[in-house]
Amino acid sequence: MSLIIETKDVNLYYGDFHALKGISMEMQPNTVTAFIGPSGCGKSTYLRLFNRMNDLIDAVKITGTINIDGKNVYEKGVDIVELRRKVGMVFQKPNPFPKTIFENIAYGLRVNGVGDKHFIEDRVERSLKQAALWEEVKDKLKKSAFELSGGQQQRLCIARALAIEPTILLMDEPASALDPISTSKIEELIHELKKNYTILIVTHNMQQAARVSDATAFFYLGNLVEFGTTKDIFTHPNDIKTQNYITGRFG
Amino acid sequence: MIHLEEELNVLKQETMNMWQLVIQQLQKTEEALINFDKDLASEVIANERRVNAMELKIDNDCENAFALLNPVAVDLRFVLAILKINNNLERTGDIAEGIAKFISQAKNPFETQLLEITRVREMYMHSIEMLKDILIAFDTENTKLARTLFRRDEMIDEINRNANSILVDYISKYPESTEQALNILSAIRKLERVGDQAKNIAEEIIFYVEAKVLKHTKKGLLEG
Amino acid sequence: MSNSKNTGRIKHLKQQFAFGIFRLFSLMVVAILFFILAFIIVRGAKVISWNFLTGMPEEGMTKGGIFPAIVGTFLLVIGSLLFTFPVGVLSAIYTNEYMKDSWYKRFIKLMTNNLAGIPSIVFGLFGMSLFVNTLGFGDSIIAGSLTLGLLTLPVVIRTTEEALKSIDNSFREGSYALGATKLQTIRKVVLPMAFPNIITGLILSVGRVSGETAPILFTVAAYFLPKLPHSIFDQVMALPYHLYVISTSGTNVEESRPMAYGTALVLIAIVLLVNILANALRRYFSKKVKMN
Repeated sequence: MSLIIETKDVNLYYGDFHALKGISMEMQPNTVTAFIGPSGCGKSTYLRLFNRMNDLIDAVKITGTINIDGKNVYEKGVDIVELRRKVGMVFQKPNPFPKTIFENIAYGLRVNGVGDKHFIEDRVERSLKQAALWEEVKDKLKKSAFELSGGQQQRLCIARALAIEPTILLMDEPASALDPISTSKIEELIHELKKNYTILIVTHNMQQAARVSDATAFFYLGNLVEFGTTKDIFTHPNDIKTQNYITGRFG
Repeated sequence: MIHLEEELNVLKQETMNMWQLVIQQLQKTEEALINFDKDLASEVIANERRVNAMELKIDNDCENAFALLNPVAVDLRFVLAILKINNNLERTGDIAEGIAKFISQAKNPFETQLLEITRVREMYMHSIEMLKDILIAFDTENTKLARTLFRRDEMIDEINRNANSILVDYISKYPESTEQALNILSAIRKLERVGDQAKNIAEEIIFYVEAKVLKHTKKGLLEG
Repeated sequence: MSNSKNTGRIKHLKQQFAFGIFRLFSLMVVAILFFILAFIIVRGAKVISWNFLTGMPEEGMTKGGIFPAIVGTFLLVIGSLLFTFPVGVLSAIYTNEYMKDSWYKRFIKLMTNNLAGIPSIVFGLFGMSLFVNTLGFGDSIIAGSLTLGLLTLPVVIRTTEEALKSIDNSFREGSYALGATKLQTIRKVVLPMAFPNIITGLILSVGRVSGETAPILFTVAAYFLPKLPHSIFDQVMALPYHLYVISTSGTNVEESRPMAYGTALVLIAIVLLVNILANALRRYFSKKVKMN
């Protein structure tokens, strides 16, 4: 099996703060890998390495290598726009643009220079279907995305990310702002999407990590404490810290 | 179908496969008993390893289901029921192995007359039918069918109760066949326990489908 | 028990008293506003007529209309907007979206804020020295517009910055994550969202421009000019200055007093209209932003 994502000894500093301490990990294609850990443990920061979202923050220093398909994404001369097309991202809070449902999905295509009307229409429909939203919105594509419910907005954001055909999908607590029904819809969707994408997901919800992921990584204070199959982590973790965290006994 | 349902279906399928295997094991011991087929008996003993492996696998899958799927309500009862049914099936498998063991150790074929008067074949028929019916009840979530088990268990009990006096008579008439008679008695005792296992399974099915706990209540046992 | 009941009552009374004071002061503000309005309306309404609004001033501004002053004020407002809008919005975009947090950025912000605190007469002097004399525009619409533009620049920069800041970073990140560049993100996501608030700030600055006297004193305003301008290098009359002139140094202050109240009424009406327009536009655009 080809390794598509791999990090080797990654360190990240915000100014003087050492936020990630020597993280090495390998993620397999077409799997869901969950990052869990208490707030401030570095899991979101780690997730944002893969589409270089941390570049937006001033005073960040990164060492080590982050390879996607064997190429270091932090090498000089890497086209960030190209990288972000390949590595889509869904955020914690649904953040649709103040545009119509249609234009939200088309946005990624348009900024990447796609102008063909039919192509865009096809892609919008396909992405919405992939995100299990098509049936709910097909009659109101010209309506504002803000008219959708929170759960629908989040699926719209997933569809938006899928429209530019990434191979990897980063999800930063995608269901934390949603009600249980919407949450389980998103979880089902993740399960479906796994067939075509490699998914990395940050979650505060341990049950969610258990339900949706194949592999789980537990972060604590910037360290990767344990990384293994979700089955192993949730039935017999090796590290006592992992056990304490997932059982809610964290001190 | 949602992800959880898929996973639970796999669990259900695994359980039903084990079930079929256990029924086959029991049928084979009957055949081995009637035809005094020692090879078949050895096969049953060998297959018991498969039954045990399946039990471990289902146990493990149940653990994973609890840890990873967080089942609640009917799904939770389903996994709990599977866990117990798994145990019952494993014991039924052990019973088949036990019968197969004394067949393979027996020196002579079993007397036809002995088999007839003890009604051991009838007992086989009942217990296997019970296992088959309760499997259907499990597959189709048919609690009505599951409830019929409680009456049918009584027939097995009756044969079991009569077996004692019949065998006492038989041994006093043919003391040279004492060992054979005791073996048959032990087979009958074991088959009676198969009926109990089937009954337990029926309770688990009713529990998971209707959320009713029937154990240890006389009223529950008489229902249906 | 009775003790705690007592303290409870005292607390209640204190609260009542505080509320009473607050209510009194807020009513006072409203009362003052109404008093001023009523005063101006009662005195000014008498002279308002079609002729007053569209006619030229006559007989040493004791008779006739104020049309050139209205036109002048409009021209100055538009002229100052043409300068202040692009400069203000673009510089706000630069400081808010492009500049990294540094002492330099903080310095620029501090200076912008200081600029807002400079008395308008100083702007007038500066405008006279730079635009009128050094650049040689003379007393002209362009000199006055640029001076007024400078005056409102800090307001426009600040409101634009606030408008940009109020947009959650997650929208920018959402755009970057789709492979959009910074410019695309600003143009297609940030600006459309900030637009309603930017427009509001802009229109409020219009209100300020139309009422300012000091900056136009030395740069554009004509004392008495009963004709319309032909180019941006012409002088014009303007409402606030006209008001000042006819109430202090006209040919006959007493006789032109009713004209002064009429002018004041027109000025107030314009400022009020601009405010209403600002609100309406903001509502319109914030709805539109959601729709497109």
